[in-house]
Amino acid sequence: MAGKRSRWKYYLAFLLILVAVGALFGWHKFFREEPQPDWVTASPEMRFKYGSIGAENDAGIPYWIWFVLPRMFPEKLPGPGGYAALGVNWEQGQEMPIGFTKKVIGFPRVANNCAACHTASYRRGLNENPTFVVAGPNHTLNLQAFFRFIVDCAKDPRFNAKDILSEIDLVYKLPFIDRLIYRFILIPITKKRLLEREAQFKWVYHKEFPLWGRGRDDAMNLTKYFMLNQPMDNSIGPTDMPSVWNLKKYVPEKGHLMNLAGDSHDAYSVIIDSALGLLGAAPKDRTAFLKEVDWLVEYLGGLQAPKYPFPINQPLADAGKAVFDNNCGRCHRSERTGTRIPIAEVGTDKERLATWSKQAAIESNKVVRSFGIERKGLVENEPSGYIAAFLDGIWLRAPYLHNGSVPTLRDLLKPVNERPKVFYRGHDVYDLVNVGFVVEGDEAKRVGTKFDVNERASSNQGHEFGTDLPAKDKDALIEYLKTM
Amino acid sequence: MSRLQRFLYRLGLLSVGLAILATIAAAYSLGRFAADVPVQYADDREHFKYGSLGSEHEFGIPYWIWRALPELFKDKLPNRQEGWQSVGFVFEKGKELPVGMSQRRYLGFDVVWLNCAFCHAGTVRETAQSEPRVYAAMPANTFDFRGFMRFLFATGEDRRFTPQDILRQIDVIRKREGVGRLPLLDRLVLRFYGIYYMRERILTLRDRLDFIKQQPEWGPGRVDTFNPLKAYFNFPPEQLSPKETIGTTDFPSIWNQGQRESMKMNLHWDGNNVSLEERNRSAAMGTGITPPTGDRQSLKRVADWLRNLPADPFPFKIDKALADQGAPIYKKYCAGCHGADGKDFRGEYVGKVVPIAEIGTDERRLDSYTYEVAVNQNLIFAGYGDERFSHFRKTFGYANSPLDGLWLRAPYLHNGSVPTVRDLLEPSAKRPKTFYRGYDVYDQKNLGFVSNVSAEANRKYFLYDTAQPGNSNRGHEGKAYGTELLAAEKEALVEYLKTF
Repeated sequence: MAGKRSRWKYYLAFLLILVAVGALFGWHKFFREEPQPDWVTASPEMRFKYGSIGAENDAGIPYWIWFVLPRMFPEKLPGPGGYAALGVNWEQGQEMPIGFTKKVIGFPRVANNCAACHTASYRRGLNENPTFVVAGPNHTLNLQAFFRFIVDCAKDPRFNAKDILSEIDLVYKLPFIDRLIYRFILIPITKKRLLEREAQFKWVYHKEFPLWGRGRDDAMNLTKYFMLNQPMDNSIGPTDMPSVWNLKKYVPEKGHLMNLAGDSHDAYSVIIDSALGLLGAAPKDRTAFLKEVDWLVEYLGGLQAPKYPFPINQPLADAGKAVFDNNCGRCHRSERTGTRIPIAEVGTDKERLATWSKQAAIESNKVVRSFGIERKGLVENEPSGYIAAFLDGIWLRAPYLHNGSVPTLRDLLKPVNERPKVFYRGHDVYDLVNVGFVVEGDEAKRVGTKFDVNERASSNQGHEFGTDLPAKDKDALIEYLKTM
Repeated sequence: MSRLQRFLYRLGLLSVGLAILATIAAAYSLGRFAADVPVQYADDREHFKYGSLGSEHEFGIPYWIWRALPELFKDKLPNRQEGWQSVGFVFEKGKELPVGMSQRRYLGFDVVWLNCAFCHAGTVRETAQSEPRVYAAMPANTFDFRGFMRFLFATGEDRRFTPQDILRQIDVIRKREGVGRLPLLDRLVLRFYGIYYMRERILTLRDRLDFIKQQPEWGPGRVDTFNPLKAYFNFPPEQLSPKETIGTTDFPSIWNQGQRESMKMNLHWDGNNVSLEERNRSAAMGTGITPPTGDRQSLKRVADWLRNLPADPFPFKIDKALADQGAPIYKKYCAGCHGADGKDFRGEYVGKVVPIAEIGTDERRLDSYTYEVAVNQNLIFAGYGDERFSHFRKTFGYANSPLDGLWLRAPYLHNGSVPTVRDLLEPSAKRPKTFYRGYDVYDQKNLGFVSNVSAEANRKYFLYDTAQPGNSNRGHEGKAYGTELLAAEKEALVEYLKTF
């Protein structure tokens, strides 16, 4: 009897060891978190560009799937060049494009951070490599095409273990166990997870809506459909990716609001909400998440806008200051700056306002609170106008107006009927004469996306201020704006 | 023993017997099909010419099929009688494989495919009657890469590419050579799998490289390096900018790599990479290796050998006195960009990129390498630690190269548009508008290959037309480039360059 019992103990111990080893193995292969390599956090700029904000947990794509998708499905991209065809900023020599983070959580995964939409590129001419400016607006990124690409890939019958693995075999020899994990777990689960999101992405495929084009996203609809899971409505409001430098200029105590229509109270809230959009779920580790948010608030708070990198005619710019003070200062350098200007006064395209509502703000705030995150949050009233923008680094923030409907500062100083009606966005060669990017010509057409001011939400109307200034005042004003 | 017992006993005996047989069969197949053994060469130069980089893993052709193709499909070759030589492969005496082709035992077969030397080894003859001499690491002046591919693709498209026809051809060759029929197992594997698989692979490759049809003919000694890389990345060729679809250039010489490395020169014609090690692996991919299948050790052996390999000296007579007169002219006009002399590469602009507007040579090769290619190359060898490429850069001009072994590097300029050094010293308007490439008899006077011979015996040479896109012979001209020197000065300079 005693012998039997002790044998039992052996069995039990053996079983326990087996379970423990299995659990350890499972943890190692699926949940073990490895810190990113040191170079990622070596400087604030690298951390902003490549550092994880925790999005790999729920929104991460297994690295080798991410790797082979553009090679397997090039026909679903807007052009040749792999991920580069989407207008991502990709530094030569770097494995990941800026804003794409690689992190091991059990296995290497790829997700995004703020820098994907908030790093700008510019070149003086075609015979020059791009310069990247962190916290600048990514005016080349075709975010809608990126969303569609991922979902379209998942929907393709070739998104299966056999085809994906044979593509991986051409570039990397997966260890036996990892190959099995990819075959039976990661590839099927990734496909399933991506297809689950199809409903949320429905509006990205809306047949009657104009395409966002490069450098724009439909931010408030993103929140509505991704965070609130609301049914698709008929609203559309693609807007320019904003610059996110020098966030300390927003002082809530002075009545400053953030986002293009003043939808949010402060930088802390905006960063949390945007980051949650990238996570696609409640943060797995709330403390770590909020720590990263604090770092971003600090880093972006103090980061100054880049200086205009080309020659400036200083006497002309000095003359332009007076023009600015007389014509622009009352909104762009006054107590009105950073506050909402009623739509009737500014007169720009209204559609963006209709994409958001008091109710949506209330519900979003509830969701974020349910994650255990306290913040001032979204402004719980109806959108009624657009924020008078601070103009720091305005030279790199083209095209202009909230919907990016006016290519250059010079165009913005023209009356509406003289502003360009059709142009091409997303080319990063700089237009030194007009201040903005080159939007015409073969390269702009080849690289860029067509923007038509007659499409929905794309009107270039409004902000007809300074449009009747004498030509020489406009020249001086433009020169002065380069210095901001 | 009861009947049942006896039955069980026999059954047991039978199972044991079967198990032994199965084990033997498994062990045999393991030995037969799992082996992965290259043919080894003790000598470094032989290893360069015939050693395996591992390209057979993805592209290997069973040796006997390789033998059968040019006989079975001789109608698809430029010249029916010459076999593989008719697309410019070089065979040395007593060798079964041409220079640049290696052999490996893999998946149960002796398979063959390419290594560095197929693009980087060539031949020279003193006169039409002399025996060709093979020079390792010089540009493969006779090899027609595109002709080779065209032939291969044509076989895959042909209705005779069947197990029956190919095996019959193999039998014919083996009977002729008295080595008997192919063993049964080999026949079976080829009959029911190998040949179908090979045909599928050939046709897949053909489809991927279909864009090449749109390009002007390359001719011998030339290749488009980076457009095939776009095909490797699966960039849709029809969506590429028309500016970037032609990038045909001369094969370069690859000796004296060490000094280039230590001077951190920009490598490749457009200087798109300063890492010799990366450049080597990138070029090795052109032979057919992939990150999982490349033979690292073998490649390192080749790379180490090339570091200190000197260029072969000019084997013909040099007028020493005349060459001495050329030296100061070289020093004044050429040394700043091309190095102190043929052995000392030091110079202010050596290995640096000269903007295209300044050098003025044909821009197609430069434009064929785009920023999009550069950043996608960042992902090559990913997963293999430090091996991942990280040094490729889009440039906006062509790189100044040292002139070591210049005499073997004709025709000149990156696209091989100028037949001799003497022609290069003329302004582009006076350079030959058309000339023949692929002939290996040397033009001792002008420094280059004889370029006015259209055919010899059964072999036709390639008429290079500088009017074709990508083939322009303009640029590298004007006072600074020596095209305004006096005729006597040019002659002296050419003589001096023979000493390089």
